[in-house]
Amino acid sequence: MNSPFVFVSIVALVLLSDDSVRGSYSTSLPKEPFLGIPPEDVKYYSSSHGIKCKDGSRKFTTAQLNDDFCDCPDGTDEPGTSACPNGKFYCRNAGHVPVIIFSSRVNDGICDCCDGSDEYDNKVKCLNTCREAGKAAGDELKKKIAVYQEGVAIRKQEVEEAKVALAKDKEELSKLKSEEKELKVQFELLKERKEQIEKAEEKERLRKEKEETEKREAEEKAGKETSETAEEINHERIEKGSGGESDTSTTESMHDERIGLVDDYPSDQDLEEDLAAEHDHLSTAVQDQGNTHAVEEKDELVTLASEEESIVSSEPNVDAESKHAVEEKDELVTLASEEESIVSSEPNVDAESKVANGYITAEGDDASENADELSKEELGQLVASRWTGEKTEKESGEDFARDNNHEEQSRETPKDTSDGIDDIYALETADSEKYEYDNVEDGFDEDSTVKEHYDFSSHYEDGSDSDSDDELDFEDLAIQKFFSWVEKMKKMWRGILQAINIFQPPVDISEAAQVRKEYDELSTKLSKIQSRISSLSQKLKQDFGSEKEFYSYYGRCFESKQNKYIYKVCPFKEASQQEGHSTTRLGKWDKFDDSYKVMIFSVGDKCWNGPDRSMKVKLRCGLKNEVADVDEPSRCEYEALLSTPALCKEDKLKELQDKLDMMSRERMEGHDEL
Amino acid sequence: MRTPLSLFFLSLLLLLSPSDVRSWKKDEFRNCNQTPFCKRARGRKPGSCSHVATDVSISDGDLVAKLVQKEPTPDQEDQEPVKPLALTISAYEDGIMRLKIDEDPALESPKRRFQVPDVIVDGFESKKLWLQRVSTEKVGGDEHLSSIVYLSDDYEGVVRHDPFEVYVRERVSGDRVLSLNSHGLFDFEQVRAKKEEDDWEERFRSHTDTRPYGPQSISFDVSFYGADFVYGIPEHAASLALKPTKGPGIDHSEPYRLFNLDVFEYLHDSPFGLYGSIPFMISHGKARGTSGFFWLNAAEMQIDVLGEGWDADSGIMLPSSQKRVDTFWMSEAGIVDAFFFIGPGPKDVVKQYVSVTGAPAMPQLFATAYHQCRWNYRDEEDVENVDAKFDEHDIPYDVLWLDIEHTDGKKYFTWDRVLFPHPEEMQRKLAAKGRHMVTIVDPHIKRDESYHIHKEASKNGYYIKDASGNDYEGWCWPGSSSYIDMLNPEIRSWWADKFSFENYVGSTPTLYIWNDMNEPSVFNGPEVTMPRDALHYGGVEHRELHNANGYYFHMATSDGLLKRGNGNDRPFVLSRAFFPGSQRYGAVWTGDNTAEWDHLRVSVPMILTLGLTGLSFSGADVGGFFGNPETELLVRWYQLGAYYPFFRAHAHQDTKRREPWLFGERNTELIRDAIRTRYMLLPLFYSLFREANITGVPVVRPLWMEFPFDEATFDKDEAFMVGNSLLVQGIFTERAKHVSVYLPGKESWYDLRTGTAYVGSKTYKLEASEDHVPAFQRAGTIIPRRDRYRRSTTQMVNDPYTLVIALNSSQAAEGELYIDDGKSFEFKHGAYIHRRFVFKGGKLTSLNVAPATSGNLPFKSECIIERIILLGHAGRPKNALIEPGNVKAQIESGPLLLQGRSSSGVLTIRKPGIRIADDWTIKVL
Repeated sequence: MNSPFVFVSIVALVLLSDDSVRGSYSTSLPKEPFLGIPPEDVKYYSSSHGIKCKDGSRKFTTAQLNDDFCDCPDGTDEPGTSACPNGKFYCRNAGHVPVIIFSSRVNDGICDCCDGSDEYDNKVKCLNTCREAGKAAGDELKKKIAVYQEGVAIRKQEVEEAKVALAKDKEELSKLKSEEKELKVQFELLKERKEQIEKAEEKERLRKEKEETEKREAEEKAGKETSETAEEINHERIEKGSGGESDTSTTESMHDERIGLVDDYPSDQDLEEDLAAEHDHLSTAVQDQGNTHAVEEKDELVTLASEEESIVSSEPNVDAESKHAVEEKDELVTLASEEESIVSSEPNVDAESKVANGYITAEGDDASENADELSKEELGQLVASRWTGEKTEKESGEDFARDNNHEEQSRETPKDTSDGIDDIYALETADSEKYEYDNVEDGFDEDSTVKEHYDFSSHYEDGSDSDSDDELDFEDLAIQKFFSWVEKMKKMWRGILQAINIFQPPVDISEAAQVRKEYDELSTKLSKIQSRISSLSQKLKQDFGSEKEFYSYYGRCFESKQNKYIYKVCPFKEASQQEGHSTTRLGKWDKFDDSYKVMIFSVGDKCWNGPDRSMKVKLRCGLKNEVADVDEPSRCEYEALLSTPALCKEDKLKELQDKLDMMSRERMEGHDEL
Repeated sequence: MRTPLSLFFLSLLLLLSPSDVRSWKKDEFRNCNQTPFCKRARGRKPGSCSHVATDVSISDGDLVAKLVQKEPTPDQEDQEPVKPLALTISAYEDGIMRLKIDEDPALESPKRRFQVPDVIVDGFESKKLWLQRVSTEKVGGDEHLSSIVYLSDDYEGVVRHDPFEVYVRERVSGDRVLSLNSHGLFDFEQVRAKKEEDDWEERFRSHTDTRPYGPQSISFDVSFYGADFVYGIPEHAASLALKPTKGPGIDHSEPYRLFNLDVFEYLHDSPFGLYGSIPFMISHGKARGTSGFFWLNAAEMQIDVLGEGWDADSGIMLPSSQKRVDTFWMSEAGIVDAFFFIGPGPKDVVKQYVSVTGAPAMPQLFATAYHQCRWNYRDEEDVENVDAKFDEHDIPYDVLWLDIEHTDGKKYFTWDRVLFPHPEEMQRKLAAKGRHMVTIVDPHIKRDESYHIHKEASKNGYYIKDASGNDYEGWCWPGSSSYIDMLNPEIRSWWADKFSFENYVGSTPTLYIWNDMNEPSVFNGPEVTMPRDALHYGGVEHRELHNANGYYFHMATSDGLLKRGNGNDRPFVLSRAFFPGSQRYGAVWTGDNTAEWDHLRVSVPMILTLGLTGLSFSGADVGGFFGNPETELLVRWYQLGAYYPFFRAHAHQDTKRREPWLFGERNTELIRDAIRTRYMLLPLFYSLFREANITGVPVVRPLWMEFPFDEATFDKDEAFMVGNSLLVQGIFTERAKHVSVYLPGKESWYDLRTGTAYVGSKTYKLEASEDHVPAFQRAGTIIPRRDRYRRSTTQMVNDPYTLVIALNSSQAAEGELYIDDGKSFEFKHGAYIHRRFVFKGGKLTSLNVAPATSGNLPFKSECIIERIILLGHAGRPKNALIEPGNVKAQIESGPLLLQGRSSSGVLTIRKPGIRIADDWTIKVL
C-alpha cells in the first residue's frame, strides 16, 4: 500500500467505479468540490497528495472528498454530504452569518441554511433568505447593543454607589462594635448590683415563705386555687431569678435568638395573634397530654393571657375547640402533603384518632388499611393521590365538595399549627429548656418559635417581609415595637405579682426598682446594637459580585405575575411563589453560579414524593430589574429569567459590536455576490 | 381519644419514611385464599372429577359428546341433579384442536354463559377440517373406551370416556402431546336459580359483589408432554420460564393470576396479575419440542404451574412415561373454549396461535423508532424546547408524547387552552421535521354536563351500568367518571368517530393515540378496578368480560384512527391493558415500572413473554416510570431499550427531568449512540415487524425459539434474539466489570461493533463496556442497516443501505429486507419491496421474495446500497464484480461501524452502487 504506484491505481479504480455509479443512479453528489468546507479549511483539503482525516486515523484522496462515502470516522472526507455520522457542514450564508450544521441535515428535505446550500439533491427547493434574515438579525443586534450601551452606564454607576455604600456599612459596623464593647462593661456592673439586690430579696422571700407556709397550713382547706397557681409561678420565678448564672444564660440566649430575626420581624399584632393561636393549640394539646408539667405551662399561659386584653380569651370553650379540631383536620391534608422538616417527638398516637380522621391521604400504608372506612369518593382520591402525589382536594379541583373558604383556611392555618408544635416539642422534650418559659422574657422564646417556623414551614404569611428600600428604618421600627411588647409583658408580670402581693421584699424597693429599670434599659439598648451588628455582618458576608455590582440587590425583591401565581425573587434571601394568600418557598438563597450569570436558590419547601423545591434564576442584561419566564421544567425545579443592568458588561458589549461589524461586512460581501 | 395533633405527627412520620408511601399495596388485592373460586379449586384433590363422556358422535364436522357426572360430588349431594354438559371437539388446519365445553344450550338456564366474541379472526373458521368419522377403541391397557378423531396426518385427538379426558397424541408413536383432565381436576359450576338460603354475595374490603348468578367457575388440569419448561400467560413481572407455584419444595406461592389490574409500583418478581391477560401457555422441551394451550376466556383466571411430584399422593398414574409439566387452570366464569396447538417447533406454535387470534398489525415506520414521553410535557413551549434540544444534540427521535395534563380537566379529546392554545400549529411544527405526536385518551369519561362525550354517552345509554342498572360511576383522573361500554359494536363505532379531525378538535394527521388505564383502572373500585357485577351490553357481567375490557377499548380507538385516515393510514395506538387479539390493534407496554436495576432486568422476560403470545410490538418504559434512575441505570436502559420492539422513554411527573442531554456530555453521547443504534438497525426491525405481521413470529425472541435444541437456552432470559440474526445481552448491575454471555449454536458470532468473532455454544465472560450492552450477529445471517442519522425516520427515506454479511462456517449467509411506504395499507396490495439476500459460493444474490400475485400497486425506491460488509470471509479479496453491468467495486478492510476503527476481519465493498429494488449479483473476486 505504501508504493505510489498502488496508490495511484486505487485512485484510478475509485474514480472509475464512481463514474459508472454516477452514470446509472443519482447519488446527489455536490456540484462544488469544496461544498460544506469553511473558507479557512479549503487549504487543508487542497493537497494533491492525499488528505488526512483530522483525527489522523487515515488518509483519503481528492476523489474521495465529498464522494458520498464515509472514509474518515470523524467525517473529514465528507463535509458536503450526509455520508459520515459525525460530519459538519458549513453554510456560506452570504448576506448573513455563516453557520456550521450537522451532516445529518444535508439533503434531508429540510432547509437549514438560509442560502439553501444544504439541500442540493433537488428533492426540495430552498429559497435564499439570507438577506432578509441577515437584516433582521442585524437590527436585532443593534437593539441589543443599544440596550447594552445604556446598561453598561447604569452598571458603572451602580458599581460606584456600591463601593461607597459598602464602605459606609463597614464603618458603621466598626462603630457599633466599639459601642457594644462599652455598653457591655456598664452592663456587667449593673448586673452585679442587680444580683446583690435579688439575693437580698431571696433571703427575705424565704423567710416570708416559711411564715406563709405555716399560716397556710393552718387554713389549708380554705385556700383558693388562683392563689395557689400564682404562688407556684412566683415560687419558680424567684427561684430562677436567684440563680445568677441562669439569668445570664437567658440573656445570652435571648441575644442569640434575635440574630436573624431582624429581617422578618413580625409586627406587634402578628405576635399577639400568634401567641393567641399558640395558646389555643396549647390548651387543646395540653388537655390531651394530661402531662403535669405541661399543665403547669398551661396555667401559666392562661394567666398570662387573661391579663392581657388583646389576647384572645383563654377559656377553652367547647365551640372554639371543635372549630379548632375542624381546622386541624383540614390542615392535615395540606400539612401532611407539603410539610416536612418538623421532626415529631410524639411517641404515642392512638389508633382511634386515625380512624376518626377522614382525610388520611398522606398516611401511606395506614391509609390503605383504613380504606374501608372511606367513602367511594375519598377512596378514589386516595388511590389517585399515589400517582399524583397531590393532596386530594387539589386533585379534584372544583368538583370536590369543599368550598373555597375551607381551602383557604387550610392553607393559612399551618403556620399556627407548626408554632403550636414547636411549643409542644419544647415542652415535651427538654426540661432544661423549660425555665425559659418561666422567665419574664419568655417573649423571646415565642419569637424563636416564629423564627423556626419561618425556617421550616412551607406556607407562611408574608406580610412581614416585603421588599423595602428603607430597610434600616424598618428594622428599627420592628425592634422598637418588639421591645415595647416586651415591656408590656413585663408590666403585665409585675401587675400579676403586685396584684397577688404575697410578700414585701425587705430591701429598699425604690433602689431595687431603679436598678432593675436601668438594667432593663441597658439590656434593651445592648440587644438593639447587637442585632444591628449581626444584621450588618450578615449583609457584609454576602457575595455581591466581582465588582459588587449586586450590592443594591440586598434586601430587594423582584416580582413576576404568571397566570394565577406571583413569583418573587429576593436575592440573598429567597425565592417564592404566591397563590392568593398562600406562599410556597421555592428556595433559600444559595449562591451565584456560572460566573455571576445565574442565581441559585435551593432547599425550598419539599415536594411530596419529590425533591426540595429549587430555583435557578438566569441573569441577562437589561435596563430594568425584571423577572420573566418563570418555568418549572422539572417538577419542583424552577427556572426564571431576570434582566438586570448588572449583567451589562463592557466586554460583552464589545463582543456584540464586533459581531455587528462582521455581519455588516458579510452583508456587504453578500450583496456583491448577489 | 381524638388528638388531631397526634394524627398530624403521625402523618409527618409516615411521610418521612418513604417505604411506607411508595410500595406495592398488597392488601388491596385479593389473593387466591380471598378469592372463593380459586380457594375452592385449589383445595380440590386430583381425581375428584367424576364426569364421563357419553353419546360420542360426529355432528356438523365436529366430535360431540355429553359430559355427565357419574355420582354427585359430596357438596352437591343435596342439590338438584346436575345437567349434562355439551362437549365439542373441532380440528383446524396446521395442527390445531379446539375443545369447547359449555352448558347444553338446549337446556334451560337462568343465564347464558359468556363466550368472548370478536377475538377469533374471521378467516379461522374457514380452516376447519370437516371431521368425517370417529373411531372408538381401548387405548393401551385401558378398560374404558376412547374416541379418536383425525387432526392431521401425524396427530390425533382423543376423548377418553371414563373418566373423561381429552388429549392430542402422535399417530404413529402414540406419544401424548397435550392433555386435559388427566388428573381429574375438571370442575364446572353450572349456573343455577338462586334459592332463598343461598348467600352468593362476596365481600372484599369495603366492596360487595352481589354475584346474582352465584358460583359459575371452571377449572381443569392441563399437561404438556416432553416439556422441560412452560412459558407465556402474561402479564407478570416474572421469569420467562415459569416457576412452579405448587408442589414439593414450594412453601407458599400464589398461582399466576390473570386479572387486568392497575398495580401501583408493582414488584419485579411476582406471579401477581398486571395490566393484561393472555391465557396462552407454551411448553418447550428437548424431547418433543413445543406445544401450546390457549383458553379463550375473559374472566379472572388463576393458573398453577405444578412442580414435579405435586401429585405424588394422588395415586393417579398417567399412561405415559414422557417427561411433562402439569398445570392447573381456574376461571371464575365463562366457558371452556380451549385450543391445543401441536407445534412441534416454537415458531409453529406461535403461528398456530396467531392463526386463531390474528397477526400483529404492521406498524408505521415512525412507530418503530424512538419515542420521547414524560408525564407531562407541560406546554407548547416545553414541547418546542424538548424538540429543539434533540436537534441541538443531533439525537434522532420520531414521536413526542403528551400525557393526561394536556387536556382540559382530564376530558380527553380536549386541550388545556392555557398550556396548549395552538395544538395544530404545535403538531405542524413537529411534522415539519417529520415528527409525530401522541396524545393520551383514557376510557374514563368525566361526568361533566358540559363535556360533549359525557353528554352523548349518558344520553344514549353508552355507559357500563352498575348492578342495579344505573350508569356506573367510579373515580379516576378527572374525578367522578363513567366508562363507555365498548362491548357493543354500535358504541365502538360511535367512539371511533370521535377521532375524526372534525370531532377531535386540535388533532392533525400526524397525531396518534395512547390508551392508558383501560384495565379499567377505577381508583375507588375493588382492587382498583370495576366491580364484577357491573353490567355490559347484552347483560354480560363485568366479571365475565373483565380481562377483555381494555382490548375492546383498544380496538375501538384503533378503528377510530383507521376511519380517520379513510382506511389507508395505519393506526398507532399504545395500550396498557391487553387480551388475545390485542396485537391486531397496536402496541403495548409493561406499564408503570420503577427506575431500578431489577425492573430493567425483568423487562426482558416480560417483553419476550408478550412476544411469544402474539404481542410482538411491546416495550418497557426506558428509565423506569417511578423514581429517579441513576445516570448509569438510565444509560444502560437506553442501551437495552434500543432493542425493545417498542422503544419509548417515559417518566412519572414527580421525577426529575431526564431527557438524554441532561447528564453531561459523556452520557449524552452514550444515550445518543444507543438511540442511533436503533435507527441504524431500523431496516432490520421493520423487516421483522413485517415478518411478525405475516407469521406472528415475534420481533424479539427467546433464545430457545432460535435454538430449540440447545438446552442451555431454555431458561435464559437475560439475553434475547432480535429476529434470527442478533443476540443482545443486557447489563443489569451497577458498575458491572464483566458480563457473562452465552452464545448458543454451532456457528460463530460477531460483535456488533467490532466484528470480533466468537465461537458458538460457549459462555463468555466479557469486559463490560460503558458504551454499549453486548450484541452479536449470528454467523450465516445478513443484516440490512442504514448508517446515516437524521432527525427522524422521515428524512431517512432516500438514504442508502448497508448490508452486513456474517458468513458461517460454509461461507454462506442469508437475510431479508422489507420496505414499503411506511405509512399506508398499500403494502396489502403489493406496494412493497421484499428482497432476500443470499451469499453462497463467493457470490451475493438479491432475490425478489414478493410473490408475483401479491397485488398490483407498485412501490418504487431509488435507494442504493452504499456499502456491503463481509464478516468472516476466508480470503483477502480486493475487488467485486457486479452484474448486471459488469462493474467492478473495490474491497478494502474497514470499520464495522462508521465511527469505529478498521479491523482486519471486516471487509467492505465500497460503493457497489446497486439499487435495493433490483435483482443483481455481486461476485467477490
